[in-house]
Amino acid sequence: MSVKAARRRWIEALAGSPLPWLLPLALVLAFTFIYPIIEIIRLSFTNAGLTGGNYSYTARSYRLLFGSPYFSDMIKATVIFVFFSVIFQMLLGFVIALLVDQGAKRGMRASIVTRTAVLSAWAIPGVIIGIIWNILYQESAAGVLNYLLHALGFGSVPFLSDPGAALASVTVANIWRGTAFSMILLYAGIQTLPGDVLEAAKVDGASAWQRLTRVMLPLLAPIILINLVIVSIDTFNTFDMVLALTGGGPGRSTEVVALSIYDLIFQQFHLGQGAATAVLLLAINAIMTAIYLRLERTEEIT
Amino acid sequence: MTETKAVSRKEFLKLGGATLAGAALLGGCGGGNQSSKGSKGPIQWQAIPTYSTEQNTDQQRVNYLNKAISNWENSSGWSIKPLVSSSDITAANAKLLQQASQGRAPDISQVDSYIFPRFFKYAQPLDDYLDGLSLSDWFPFARAHMVSGGKVLGLQFTTDVRALFYRKDLVSKPPKSWDEVLKVGKQLKGKVQTPFLFPAGRDEGTMTTTLLPYFWSQGGELTDASGKPAFGKGKNRDAMLSSLEFIQECVKSGITPKKATQYGIETDMDGDIASGSVGMFQGANFQVPLLQQITGNKFTSKWEVSIIPSKSGSNFVTSAGGQMWGVFTKDKKKQKASVDFLKAAFVGNKGMAGWCNVGGYLPVRKPVYNVPAYKGDKYTATFREFLQKYARNRPGVDSYQDISTALQVAVTQVVSGQKSPAQALDTAVKTVSG
Repeated sequence: MSVKAARRRWIEALAGSPLPWLLPLALVLAFTFIYPIIEIIRLSFTNAGLTGGNYSYTARSYRLLFGSPYFSDMIKATVIFVFFSVIFQMLLGFVIALLVDQGAKRGMRASIVTRTAVLSAWAIPGVIIGIIWNILYQESAAGVLNYLLHALGFGSVPFLSDPGAALASVTVANIWRGTAFSMILLYAGIQTLPGDVLEAAKVDGASAWQRLTRVMLPLLAPIILINLVIVSIDTFNTFDMVLALTGGGPGRSTEVVALSIYDLIFQQFHLGQGAATAVLLLAINAIMTAIYLRLERTEEIT
Repeated sequence: MTETKAVSRKEFLKLGGATLAGAALLGGCGGGNQSSKGSKGPIQWQAIPTYSTEQNTDQQRVNYLNKAISNWENSSGWSIKPLVSSSDITAANAKLLQQASQGRAPDISQVDSYIFPRFFKYAQPLDDYLDGLSLSDWFPFARAHMVSGGKVLGLQFTTDVRALFYRKDLVSKPPKSWDEVLKVGKQLKGKVQTPFLFPAGRDEGTMTTTLLPYFWSQGGELTDASGKPAFGKGKNRDAMLSSLEFIQECVKSGITPKKATQYGIETDMDGDIASGSVGMFQGANFQVPLLQQITGNKFTSKWEVSIIPSKSGSNFVTSAGGQMWGVFTKDKKKQKASVDFLKAAFVGNKGMAGWCNVGGYLPVRKPVYNVPAYKGDKYTATFREFLQKYARNRPGVDSYQDISTALQVAVTQVVSGQKSPAQALDTAVKTVSG
């Protein structure tokens, strides 16, 4: 076989393969996703600072992270923030999706208004949401909620100055922000439910509660689970709203993992320690993503 | 037809060439020894948005800067190339430090004065270009961060100072000691909602306006001579602990509300102050213009200023800050031109007066207070006295950011009741010692 013929065969084989089509995407992914991840992991094993200068390889960043007097507080605040955010975002998202669906079925124009209003909360940047809720929660005369409480004859509530209340306040603001996403996903899921199955259940005499719990929820289970994972990852990564609302205080009572990364890198210039904390967050997100992929595969099989 | 067209094109090109040559010759003759605007080259000038012509929402400042730049460009032959950094000044300084360590810092850059000592390795000496300016013109606290190894490495061009503000209709004699603060505060209970307010949140205002004046006035030092954290040792620990205990006492006695934890910077308190619910507060001079504006020019007629009280009622210390220019270009001609520009727009008598007027800053060079063009306010003379007698800047050491974060957390924990002063201090010490 001549060299020319071999080259032609190689070109033909390559033209028939998906490799040339996938290669540009693979390169983009390698530069924008894989390289930064490798770099973060590498930096996490250094004592590098944001201000440059020499650095050496060490496990000190991880020792400082796990030995910090605030490590358990940070994890506790994050878990509470994520757990309640996710539960209520999904619950309220589902309730709103059901209401909007029922409204649409009855030809009510208000369902479109409701959908738009809920979506607007999702479209507002986190920093702005933080500022809006800060104005609502203020304990001064400018605080909207405390003003209303006073008007109703109640005393002031320390929404942001009491450590426990501050974490609850931040979580409520995040629920308000994230409910729309769950609503969109679950509303789309509700639209895909087979009408004949729901109709059959109704004909068989199932009550509204029974139709919801025994027909709708089992059918929506894959979407609910995927929603759970996506919302969880999103909430673990939230820091902009918390930064604008409390800055992590009082003390470190609202300092979630993502905010701690920002603080370590951009306020204290500890690139190594910030990277180590980012690796912790990356690990949490990787576990969530693995669950998501597994659920997606299960859904495909069924 | 074709020939005629070819000839006319040739003629046109000849004519064009001759015109250009003539214009260049005439331009050269007409310019004499003076260079035209920008002919000597560009100078990079980097500032945060509020100090820049770029991304600045304050039109008065932009107008001042555009005029100052244009005038200087016309007279010097250089051009200014504005670069803007982040509005998060701490992050902007961190990025600049990284650029400087790699030799990529812009020719002129703005640096927060307390961070400037970290740029000493990279900033270029400016002594040869300071003709007309005397180092002794600057307040002592500013000189401490401008000079290293006997060389002037930075030019501070604004400053600010912290003070106790009190309502003169409610407080006849301002408190000087902590005991007096508690006494006057208790007398104000019932008359105003918040007798005594100070920043106690997670930001620098908590350090500069609240904790550091208390701590320093007892002789405390945050770091040792090598720049390592020392606030948890010996007499420093005693000073820090009593500062935190006083803060706790203010809250326990009911003169300071727990909501102070929401106020990380001085201007966060403006809403409460303007609403008339505060009797005394620890704040900064830069709050005055905005408070005047939002109270309809009633602020200065109602409020007076005094030095921040100390534990003993003597040995007062307050904190000052401000902004610095560093010159990083190694080109000697550019260095000279850079200082010339900075003098014209920000550092010379006229430049500093002009910039302080539009920005509401305090001049950091003493002669500027006597320049007729400088317009201060009712408190300017008092602030000047505080700057001269009592002001200190934060230490410009690498460990300061860690110390600041740990102590901001300690103050918020004490005010919110999460921890006792001793517990909060011990945790802060443990945090910074790693």
